[in-house]
Amino acid sequence: MSDKPARIPYYPGCTMKTKALGFERSAMDCAEIIGFEMDELKDWNCCGASYPLTKDNLMGLTAPTNILVEAERRCQKEEVDPNLITLCVFCYNTLKRTEYAFGQDKKKLETVNAFLDRKYEGSIRVVHYLEYLRDVIGFDNLAKMIKTDMSKYKVAPYYGCLLLKPQKEIGLDDPEDPVILHNFLDALGCKVVDFPAQVDCCGSYLVMREPKKVSKLSYDILADANEYGAETLVTACPLCQSNLDQSQSDKVQFADLDGMPVLYFTQLLAVAFGLDTKTHKLEEHNIDPRPLFEANGSDSESK
Amino acid sequence: MLINPVEKDQKRIRELELATGETISDCYQCGKCTAGCPASMDMPPSVIIQYLKLGQFDMAKNAESIWSCMACLTCSERCPKNVSPAAIIEGLKNLHLRDMDPRVNLETMDRDFLARSPQMAIISGFRKFI
Repeated sequence: MSDKPARIPYYPGCTMKTKALGFERSAMDCAEIIGFEMDELKDWNCCGASYPLTKDNLMGLTAPTNILVEAERRCQKEEVDPNLITLCVFCYNTLKRTEYAFGQDKKKLETVNAFLDRKYEGSIRVVHYLEYLRDVIGFDNLAKMIKTDMSKYKVAPYYGCLLLKPQKEIGLDDPEDPVILHNFLDALGCKVVDFPAQVDCCGSYLVMREPKKVSKLSYDILADANEYGAETLVTACPLCQSNLDQSQSDKVQFADLDGMPVLYFTQLLAVAFGLDTKTHKLEEHNIDPRPLFEANGSDSESK
Repeated sequence: MLINPVEKDQKRIRELELATGETISDCYQCGKCTAGCPASMDMPPSVIIQYLKLGQFDMAKNAESIWSCMACLTCSERCPKNVSPAAIIEGLKNLHLRDMDPRVNLETMDRDFLARSPQMAIISGFRKFI
């Protein structure tokens, strides 16, 4: 890598500025250590959160396209590679599928452009933070930066759905048998707990209408991770985090399961880097993960 | 039950195919979508599609289970015939929503839920249920 840290245009999305502040702050702190900077877009809007599944719903693409235009303008002005980095899995999915749709069908792009003030040329490549760590930084290089002995943590990698599916359009990893989070946790030096429910759905937005069903689905995932010996779960998705974490307040459903903290992968990375995690909002989790770190005395033992 | 497809229903099924970009007759009822569906639907995806194949449009459209789909895309990903049951289900939901028939009531919505939930859950929910 060059001496000057790479500056990558960054799209946060609504959740990152409200309920997932700890995700964003830990990701930014870690990026500084790794040697890149996430440069937030100046003028951004909500991406719409869910990509329209029906082909006739092109209006659903105007919001993500408007974000891609903003990123394209920025990259052209600053003469940097046309990449846009994201953290939130819903934003990643929506923007990535929009990128794919326009790559496949230029007519679609023309139609959407007709509704926008600023026209999109179609140059932006959407990347997830995790993808950037794997493909640009390299997990082997990441492993060399770890300051804390993480070998005592038994961590289950939880992928959920939208980070991986549909594979043809996202192309990040195998949706049935993914490895990217496993390899990330390996780089940190954690004990990786491979468990069958790693790609099962947590219930997603159904929490608005059928919270009991979401409790049950979350229970199945956490009970499975617990059975395989995990003491915490990492995810990249704020909605998975919320569903898995908040559902544990349902004491009837979770009667036979002790609380299991659900972390963003960057919160764990910050611990591995030996960073001060005070601004990473660990205290806002429903199941407090801090006792786990305190019990293991994670502060800056060298490897 | 009427097995002979009604002409009116055939037209509606064709419109659904145009809206979703899916070809319903491609489905050969292997049931992989239903086997992988996490939503515990009483009328699961393969059955909804079978009703459409039989020309029974209203049986599919009025299935309560379409509202339990969480768009996890497991069905679409596993379909060996490249059909997306999730897209067909969303197409059916859109028919209700475009007829101003929402499935959550904003006025009675749990305020704690709105305060507690990540924005993405609220926005997605509004898009899928209103």
